[in-house]
Amino acid sequence: MIMSIIGLVAVLILVFLRMPIAIAMGIVGFVGFAELRNFRAAISMVGRLIIDTAQDYGLSVIPLFILMGLFVNKGGLSRELYQVSYAFLGHLRGGLAMATIVACAGFSAICGSSLATAATMSKVAMPQMRKYGYKDSLSTASIAAGGTLGILIPPSVILVIYGLLTETSIGKLFIAGIVPGILGVALYLLAVTWTVWRDPESGPSGERFDWAQRMKAIKSVWMVLALFVFVIGGLYGVLDFWPIHLTFSPTEAAGMGAAGAFLIALSRGSLTFKSTLEVLQEAVRTTATLFTVLIGAWVFSNFINLAGLPEVLKTFVSEAGVSPMMVMIMIIGIYIILGCVFESLSMLLLTVPIFFPLVTSLGFDPVWFGIIVVVVTEISLITPPVGLNVFVLKGVVGNVTTATIFRGVTPFWIVDILRLLILLLVPALVLYLPNTMH
Amino acid sequence: MSQSKKTKFVIAAEKIIEAPLYLATMMLFFLMTMTFFDVVLRSVANNPIEAATELTRLSMAIMVFSALPLVSWKSQHIIVDLIDPLFSAKLARIRDIIIDFACGILLVWPAQRVWVLAERSRDFGDVTEYLGLPQYLIGWFIAAFSFLTAATFIFKSIIRIIAPELIPQKEAEA
Repeated sequence: MIMSIIGLVAVLILVFLRMPIAIAMGIVGFVGFAELRNFRAAISMVGRLIIDTAQDYGLSVIPLFILMGLFVNKGGLSRELYQVSYAFLGHLRGGLAMATIVACAGFSAICGSSLATAATMSKVAMPQMRKYGYKDSLSTASIAAGGTLGILIPPSVILVIYGLLTETSIGKLFIAGIVPGILGVALYLLAVTWTVWRDPESGPSGERFDWAQRMKAIKSVWMVLALFVFVIGGLYGVLDFWPIHLTFSPTEAAGMGAAGAFLIALSRGSLTFKSTLEVLQEAVRTTATLFTVLIGAWVFSNFINLAGLPEVLKTFVSEAGVSPMMVMIMIIGIYIILGCVFESLSMLLLTVPIFFPLVTSLGFDPVWFGIIVVVVTEISLITPPVGLNVFVLKGVVGNVTTATIFRGVTPFWIVDILRLLILLLVPALVLYLPNTMH
Repeated sequence: MSQSKKTKFVIAAEKIIEAPLYLATMMLFFLMTMTFFDVVLRSVANNPIEAATELTRLSMAIMVFSALPLVSWKSQHIIVDLIDPLFSAKLARIRDIIIDFACGILLVWPAQRVWVLAERSRDFGDVTEYLGLPQYLIGWFIAAFSFLTAATFIFKSIIRIIAPELIPQKEAEA
């Protein structure tokens, strides 16, 4: 117990000194392991982990899904997605903000990162909303909040990392993210409605499109939407009928998605040799980064388990006689507090090895817990003082204060908490789809 | 060393660090294409690529490790910058020099260990399941690039001392 706490503190000190979190967790895990066992055992563990992780089949999901998102984005998808949502929603009061939310959700369906979603969409949506006289508080908040959907709607980098860390099915995690993602969109739309009801000036309506124009807008994105349905459908197992049996493992789904996105981008003429190379390089770099982080987290988690922290927590909880739901609420509370200061991936890496054994021993479903963790992480992305999406937005948009964005985000934050409560009380919303997977 | 010489030297070193990235990108493109054909062949002709899993694992190892030196040189590892404002510019520089140096030294042990494990599998004559490739080659590759990554960190720490302006700035995430 004491060892675990010393270990945790040591990791915190090192990461605050800007040591890469992968190396910090790795070295502390290693030293701790060596202290509990011996040097030889520790170094063998690390060496094995590196060789095995380097050749981990499951990890190949990461570069392929990243690649899919990058290829699709090269084709100018963000603008087109926004155009479509605008054609359908723009005429409503607050319609441009609503269109932003829906476009963000659409973009999340091919991009696994919240920060990237927020950054990309802000370039498209912000100028439009400014043009129609939207208040900065509403326009920036709708992008910041809509962007958080990136890590929940499949594919999602965070869910892959969670899946790999906890040996939970990545396919199931992805499928489980769909309903909470849609719920998130619905509640965000509600938040927009509430904002413009309180202050009609903040989001005037745009122009109305007729159905011919709407259909024309849809035409520009149908290929990408079809790709998403194909990839997720294959993963879920609904495309498995005669004569072609299309069922994908997560890696295969990602590979098909990447290849499909590559072909779409090629057919549109939006790829050159140079831009293809850039896209591949970016995917490779991100993969290498995530990979080191996983090794570090595994070494650390081996140490934490050897030091018996999860066991101590379990005993503590059973002796204190707290109900499982109470424990879950406490864990969520801890996540929200940590989320206020930590970047999402670092938070996940540090906490999942500690909480996961406890949570599963209390009878919670690992897939459900993964989704809950992601939803809490989403909340942390728009929570002051370091809600990262807010800062990304400030970086891209420029002349707007973080205080303005945080003020605008408040209704979105409230519906996020509401969504968390709903998912907490009705786990079936998360688990129904993955449990019916073929 | 004069300033221009230093710059030339760093640019030359950067080339060495960057070159393996092309190998990594090729691997990724290969992985994408192979997965695509594997699924298509399996679904349509019921004839999957037998060695697909093995090739996937192999290309992952090559991809990830050949990208690591550059990721380290360009400071693209995930870090926590929460208390950065507490450091003055001078203090931050000292901190970065020490941390980079420490990272370099710390990476030598695992790299060495991977080398030992590779040598052991060479003694045993381990080969991969389908293609029959010697396992130790993968081990050597991983070890070599771990050493190169360690060297990159130490090099970066030295450059921070002698020519801090030549350290690449962290690129924006999105």
